[in-house]
Amino acid sequence: MAEIPDHLLKRAQAAREKAEAQQQAEPEDSASPEKNDEAEATEEEIVVTDEHAEAALTVLERELDGKLLNSHIAPMRGLWIRVAIEDWRFAAKVAKEDLDCKFFDWLSAIDWMPSPYGREHETEQDKLNEEPEDNDQKEMEWGYTGGETRFQLICRVYSISRKIGVMIKADLPDNDPRALSLIPIYPGANWHEREAREMFGLTFDEHPDLRNIYLPGDFEGHPLRKDYPLLSRRMKPWPGIVDMELLPGDDQ
Amino acid sequence: MGLVESGKIPKPLTKLLNMSRRYSMWVYQWGLACCAIEMGAAFASPRYDVMRLGVIPLPASPRQADFLVVSGTVTDKMAPVVRRLWEQMPDPKYVISMGSCANCGGPYWDSYSVTKGVDQIIPVDVYVPGCPPRPEALLEGIVLLQERIMNEDMAERWKGDPIVVE
Amino acid sequence: MATTESEQMAYIAAQAADARVNVEVETNEGMTLNLGPQHPATHGTLRIVAKLDGEKVVAAEPIMGYMHRGYEKLTEVRTYPQVTTLINRIDWLGSFANEVPFILAAEQLMEVEAPPRAQWIRTVLFELSRIANISLFLGDMAVQVGATTPVFYAFRDREFVLNQIERVTGGRFHPNFDRIGGIKDDLPKGWIEETGSVIGKMRDFCDEMEELVLGNEIFQARTRGIGVIPPNVALAYGLSGANLRGSGVDWDIRRDANVGLVYDEVDWKVWTHPDGDSFSRFWVRLQETREACNIIEQLLDGIPAGPIMAKVPLIIKVPAGEAYVATENPLGEMGFYVVSQGDLTPFRVKIRSASFSNISIAPWLLKGVFVPDIISILASLYFILGDIDR
Repeated sequence: MAEIPDHLLKRAQAAREKAEAQQQAEPEDSASPEKNDEAEATEEEIVVTDEHAEAALTVLERELDGKLLNSHIAPMRGLWIRVAIEDWRFAAKVAKEDLDCKFFDWLSAIDWMPSPYGREHETEQDKLNEEPEDNDQKEMEWGYTGGETRFQLICRVYSISRKIGVMIKADLPDNDPRALSLIPIYPGANWHEREAREMFGLTFDEHPDLRNIYLPGDFEGHPLRKDYPLLSRRMKPWPGIVDMELLPGDDQ
Repeated sequence: MGLVESGKIPKPLTKLLNMSRRYSMWVYQWGLACCAIEMGAAFASPRYDVMRLGVIPLPASPRQADFLVVSGTVTDKMAPVVRRLWEQMPDPKYVISMGSCANCGGPYWDSYSVTKGVDQIIPVDVYVPGCPPRPEALLEGIVLLQERIMNEDMAERWKGDPIVVE
Repeated sequence: MATTESEQMAYIAAQAADARVNVEVETNEGMTLNLGPQHPATHGTLRIVAKLDGEKVVAAEPIMGYMHRGYEKLTEVRTYPQVTTLINRIDWLGSFANEVPFILAAEQLMEVEAPPRAQWIRTVLFELSRIANISLFLGDMAVQVGATTPVFYAFRDREFVLNQIERVTGGRFHPNFDRIGGIKDDLPKGWIEETGSVIGKMRDFCDEMEELVLGNEIFQARTRGIGVIPPNVALAYGLSGANLRGSGVDWDIRRDANVGLVYDEVDWKVWTHPDGDSFSRFWVRLQETREACNIIEQLLDGIPAGPIMAKVPLIIKVPAGEAYVATENPLGEMGFYVVSQGDLTPFRVKIRSASFSNISIAPWLLKGVFVPDIISILASLYFILGDIDR
């Protein structure tokens, strides 16, 4: 790696300090999933949206009857629920029939494993202040509604009459990630499931046609898994966040 | 005529032939991504009007085309098709690679599914940089290609075996 | 080489499937028609394999991935400001509109709100890119049913809108102008007046299109009653945008689930059409272009003064959390589901692109239509390949 001029390092350092000071000055508390209330939002807004989401959650709690593992309401932003993978299709059915979620938005998955390749986007100068991370020690962190396994299925459906979007999540078992297809309930799930299979290596039972949708048939690997390497990036690192080059005449 | 194949073509005749080739070119447009719209603006819009350069867009098939504009991202799934269509074109044939993606992969330089440069599969005569290049830039590329054709020695080009790129 | 006739036919069929060019092959099961991946009617590199019985389509299967560029993986190794450069290129006709939902999702996670002036300018540019996008559709749809002239009109008048976008953002196609917490620059001097006159030109363009295309007898014969999508099917397949409203569903994210843009400040109308056929989709888009002109005109009158950037740190680290923000893009609902783990880069970005869902109805819709209707139906669904393949 080429040597970085001191003045650039100083500039980056100053910027980092400023950013950190700013972040400390304004501590944000919404990151933890437990806290639903937002200090900034006005009182009225919270009341209005919570009514929508909470009414929807009440319906789901009643219909799913103990199968609801966890839930989260983000005011103005929708409703997250988590069910067991055995209840995946049932939850979608409940959402469609009892919550009037006729609009199928999308379906996908998340790989919660931290990337074993670390933060490839940073160059050495960006790491100066930080301890080198040991990626093997890093633990999985799940988002809203938590999780237990590496892969999580997500499906978003929307109710036009209630104006509420429901994000349904389900953990997939690590050894054999498979789920029931949603096609009997939402025919639009067909291509989304093909995409999820190809990108994450999941299996959808009762899906009529699980071929690759994007990649050529002989493609190896599942690109959106965190352990799939981007080979070009392994060979040539990204120039970095502070990618400033010396201008002619900028000799210092 | 036999003259060209034998390699004994007189210079004035070369010049005459080159000039007539230069101003009567059919272009096969291979629109792949964003650049296809800028290419469309250059070829189909009254503002840029490519025909004033003696270039005729929209032939019925690559078999009638003199040069090819590859505009946009070439993916690994698409690469065999690009190669195949290029093989269908009659010689002499030329290729303009339009836009960063076709030149080198562009913003997708680290993608798992993008071919980093169309020159890996077919020979390219003119590269037009930009993301996407303006229509004027494509017209400039066409003018450069025409200059190249003007200075070409046809006997040299057609002597020996046909050009094969592995 | 195969000996019997059926073996020969099977061999030719396999060759043709491999060739990926436009061929027709007759086998024992009927005729297979292959359109694309390079075919003018598919707007790029969509390939459609249709099994025919005479002129009737028995089954049609879109095959895509010829434009798959791996956006979702690439966003995981780019910082938040770098991501906007990339996602500009998803729907390349209305590029600015792509940036907005992602930036709004990041702002939601950071709990930053853009100042009013930035929000207004964003909305103006959003609607301008809608005009730039749909005006090309209006011309292109006519090409698909056999009229070549309107597309020249579209390319001519689209340039005016692109010029206006370029004057603000510096980019004709891919502005990369939106920032977390605001926008990059203020409007240049005299821009508002010029845009007013451009809006007048676009109104004329819409009138021209109405006279040229909409009232045309041939156009109506090719589109009326063709490719009818009932509302409940449209919803179950996740159709959005004008395709959904063309089926009579009164649903517009700008009005019903608006986030971060100032559509509440203006007086406008959501257009729907009850028929659900190709004609109604064209009609709804034409009205939407006019409505976009109305919205822009009202917005231009009332852009508030003030700063254009909120206070954000120089190096952007987004706090952990999840956000899903969708906006009503020219093609339909475009949403970004951003999962952050407090890093410089997103942990996972799921891009919900409109065309992918819109075109997923094609196998259902193309069953039983005639061959020429494939073209007009696909054109009326209006997809952009970057938006399908991502």
